[in-house]
Amino acid sequence: MLASFLEGWSIFRQNLLGKIGLVLLIIFALMAVCSYIPPWINPMYNPMTGVDPAITSCTPPSLRHWLGTDFMGRDILSQLLAGARIAFMVGISAAVMSIVLGVSIGMTAGYMGRFVDTLLMRLADMIMVMPTLLVVLLLSAVFGQLSIWTIVLIIALFRWPGVSRIIRGQTLSLKQRPFIEAAKVAGASHFRIIFVHIMPNVLPLAFLFMTFRVTSAIITEAALAFLGFGDPGTVSWGMMLQWVWKTGHMFQAPYWLLPPGICISLITLSFYMLGRAMDEVLDPRLRKEDQTD
Amino acid sequence: MELRRYIARRMIQVIIIFFVILTVLFLLFRWAPGDPVSMMVDPDMTQEDAEILIVQLGLDQPIGVQYFIYIKNFFTGHFGFSFHYGEPVVDIIWNRLPNTILLFTTSIILSAFVGVFLGKIASWHKGKKTDSLMTIGALVTHTLFLPWLALILIWVFGYKFGWFPINGMISEEVWLDPEAGFIARAIDVMYHMVLPLFTLFLIHFGAYLLIMRSSMLETLKEDYILTARAKGLEEKVIRDHHAAPNAALPVVTSVGLSLAFSINGGALTETVFTWPGIGRELVSSVSQNDYPLALACFLMIAGVVLVSNLVVDVLYAYLDPRIRY
Repeated sequence: MLASFLEGWSIFRQNLLGKIGLVLLIIFALMAVCSYIPPWINPMYNPMTGVDPAITSCTPPSLRHWLGTDFMGRDILSQLLAGARIAFMVGISAAVMSIVLGVSIGMTAGYMGRFVDTLLMRLADMIMVMPTLLVVLLLSAVFGQLSIWTIVLIIALFRWPGVSRIIRGQTLSLKQRPFIEAAKVAGASHFRIIFVHIMPNVLPLAFLFMTFRVTSAIITEAALAFLGFGDPGTVSWGMMLQWVWKTGHMFQAPYWLLPPGICISLITLSFYMLGRAMDEVLDPRLRKEDQTD
Repeated sequence: MELRRYIARRMIQVIIIFFVILTVLFLLFRWAPGDPVSMMVDPDMTQEDAEILIVQLGLDQPIGVQYFIYIKNFFTGHFGFSFHYGEPVVDIIWNRLPNTILLFTTSIILSAFVGVFLGKIASWHKGKKTDSLMTIGALVTHTLFLPWLALILIWVFGYKFGWFPINGMISEEVWLDPEAGFIARAIDVMYHMVLPLFTLFLIHFGAYLLIMRSSMLETLKEDYILTARAKGLEEKVIRDHHAAPNAALPVVTSVGLSLAFSINGGALTETVFTWPGIGRELVSSVSQNDYPLALACFLMIAGVVLVSNLVVDVLYAYLDPRIRY
């Protein structure tokens, strides 16, 4: 286990893009951790409620506010740091959920075959053609304001089919191997075969897909917040962009418009580069579906 | 013959999927918090108008009957009335749908062709500067956050330089001018389309470039390429006539797979550029709690995605005679 990890790491280390991605992600993680510092120094740096008593409008960067303030006099830098925290939270939790769903469904479909397989894969086909962002939009029309966790849950529920297809393919080929046959003869239950014997073999592939799911979740949440349907209790980068856009500051305040957009784009890019590098480590031929969403 | 059977089978699948979506939406809107009447009938309507509409939509019937009336209404084009516009929803949809299709198809075709072309060049210069520049460029543009890119393009080309219009799809002076012919109007629309189209193009071409590049590298290892080389064919002929057509097939697949993603981007682009399309209508109807319009817009978008998926699949089957499902 450790040896194969070290071997993978040495391949990974030769991949320049992968390394850049990893470094960028570490920086973003540090940003997320640091987001707790400014509000602790002074409550006026609170990203959501903190207002500088001396400033009530959008001001350019200064010593007091390194990236300036937004239209209400809130500190842009602390909003940016808080945004990193939300991005990781949304991205990772949605990705974990959709991967767990996708892996379980893919393994079940591949292992059980026949009716269950057809049913699950037709369901996957159906969900796959649904534009997630617009689905969340419609659901927020029906159910009103969605909280950040509901949004995460919906994203996860709609983003498993791609993973499950790949995992199903893997399971189909694993099923033919002697060790599964042996487990069957030994009297293992279906449940045990799926989760004890098949799962460890498909997990590396699932991890690879997780990086792509993280980006798609971050982008979907950001786009939703940008359109004005985000959770009003959180400060995400998409939300910041919405404030710039809706308050009409996009032509006057580049120091406000640029940082959140650069952050969303860079975090997407770094997860994407990390994914491609990991792909190379695992096996370039394994991946069939190119992740564009 | 076989192709025709394949198309027929895929069409039946699409129709079934659409029916499922139709049914799920029906249940969603009937089980939503609040009663269905408040969901489908404008609260500002007069009592008599509201009652006529309730009967037309079958909201006074038991739920099973309601479902059949809902399906019948869908096929006869009775979507109810928009709360916001006060017009029949179907008129709004027919007005917006062509605009979305124009922007959507142009952007996909443009980015797929440019992506294939550049991917071919990148693979040909594998490991050299051209290749790394193109790969990195594709990665970076593909991962840009779309609404932000749109805002930046508006800022630079619309505001700083003032080269292109930044909202709508027509200028009134051209369209109110009785002298202006079809050509002048078409040019006006194209002029308004430059920035939205460029936004969508920048986001999408990178993915196709990367797929084409890696697929081209795989294809160049095939035996028939070796044969072509052994025959003494020119490298350019091998690249453009032997390798590229086969290598482009995965791009077609990926266009199909990314359609749902593209339509998300389309809705965002339409909203930022106030392009009068169906995606923007969905966004604004949701924020105005205009339920009948939101429902119809979503159904139309789902229909567009399903139909374009079908077109891509048929195109694939046509391009690759080896594949029959």
